[in-house]
Amino acid sequence: MRKESGPAGTCPDIDFTPYPIEEPGQSRLRLFQALITLLPAALAIPLFLCAGPIYALLALSVAAVSFMVAGYYIGRIARANEQKCKLDLQLIQSQKLAAIGELSSGIAHEINNPLAIIGQEVEWMKHLMKEGGCGSNTPVGGMSEFNESLIEIGRQVDRCREITHKLLDFARKKEPLIQAVDMNRLIEDMAKLVEKEARQRNVLIERNYQADLPLVRTDPPLLRQVVLNLLNNANWAIEDRGVITISTMRAGKNAVEFMVSDTGCGIPPENLDKIFDPFFTTKPPGKGTGLGLSICHGIISKLGGSISVDSEVGKGTTFTVHLPAETTKGKN
Amino acid sequence: MSSKPKVLIVDDEERFRTTLRKLLLVKGIDAASVGSAREAFDELDTGSYDVILLDVKMPEMDGIEALAEMKRRFPHLEVIMLTGHASVDVAVEIMRLGGFEYLLKPCPIEELTDKVEAAFERKKNRESRARKKESTQEETAS
Repeated sequence: MRKESGPAGTCPDIDFTPYPIEEPGQSRLRLFQALITLLPAALAIPLFLCAGPIYALLALSVAAVSFMVAGYYIGRIARANEQKCKLDLQLIQSQKLAAIGELSSGIAHEINNPLAIIGQEVEWMKHLMKEGGCGSNTPVGGMSEFNESLIEIGRQVDRCREITHKLLDFARKKEPLIQAVDMNRLIEDMAKLVEKEARQRNVLIERNYQADLPLVRTDPPLLRQVVLNLLNNANWAIEDRGVITISTMRAGKNAVEFMVSDTGCGIPPENLDKIFDPFFTTKPPGKGTGLGLSICHGIISKLGGSISVDSEVGKGTTFTVHLPAETTKGKN
Repeated sequence: MSSKPKVLIVDDEERFRTTLRKLLLVKGIDAASVGSAREAFDELDTGSYDVILLDVKMPEMDGIEALAEMKRRFPHLEVIMLTGHASVDVAVEIMRLGGFEYLLKPCPIEELTDKVEAAFERKKNRESRARKKESTQEETAS
């Protein structure tokens, strides 16, 4: 099962470019109107000479009626076209509102759940204090349960902070700072970061780096963020014991690809279409914001590349990132 | 029948369900909690409950699916849905499926307990009406 996403497959940024009211088809209609008017009008002179003024007048009348009828229908077509353009703009506007609505409900859900826990902990702490006795500074049952609630509140605040910070990163219009980068090296740096934790969970990281890869013109911090996210996801997908394989390769003359594969649980086909959507997550509550892959997708699109996913439930998942490269060869 | 409801909390947020359980117990409401719809059905097969507090967004089987199944298998139960985000479509679906109420998280504990009491009241009224109807039918038959 495969899902692709990238500049070619994504929804373009919507702008409100007004449609031209006079479309190319309109000029053809005007030409048709001129023809059906001029033809009977041109007949008026030979008819006048051969058959007399009445026939010539008749031809001119036909020309006048043709002109008016064609004009009337051309006007109706123009109005219908204008109406269509307005409806198209309304449709775009509703799609934008629907997207905002979807995003807001995602944010509301992710924030309201930790808020609900915070609210309950506060209630519980109030109860402990009340039971401790009026004027007493010690809650019932001592401080341990009270402290536990405080720690939980802190944890839930961190959860909210993570969501809002990631959301800000997601929305920030930061222009990439493009440099020539050795992709193998950049990926290896990230692999080393993840490897320690992976080893503790019996997850092995295998490397298949292609030598002599061309340098990639990209923004290193942004690309590092993508690689790290994909490696963390792969690590997460493997419950215990498994392999993460990182591969790099050329993709045609002017592009390179890297793949992150895991032997984890895989993604069900019905979820593949949603994995790049903001707030989509299958992780337990509090473990994932559902923004990671959405951010990766945004970054790769910004860097002029594309990201796709292949997955089979029970066998594993492969993310492939395609990026434009420099034509000069890099050292490896 | 007891004067206080027996509540089952179904929510995948562990801390949410454990603290809510403690708060309900403090208010004199006997409550148990489980982390998924599947566990809830196992619990309902063996235990006796009056009101279910059911989270809408849960992995595997979501709350709406679980509500439909609960109403089919345990029609006597009153179900209050809890969710992190409001949506008219979801609210309509809950009412259509026979849910008692739809509460938005975070929800003050007083509001929640009021709803639980109201749901329990409705359950008791319905059961007493059913009993009356049954005895009337028996009297008519005899």
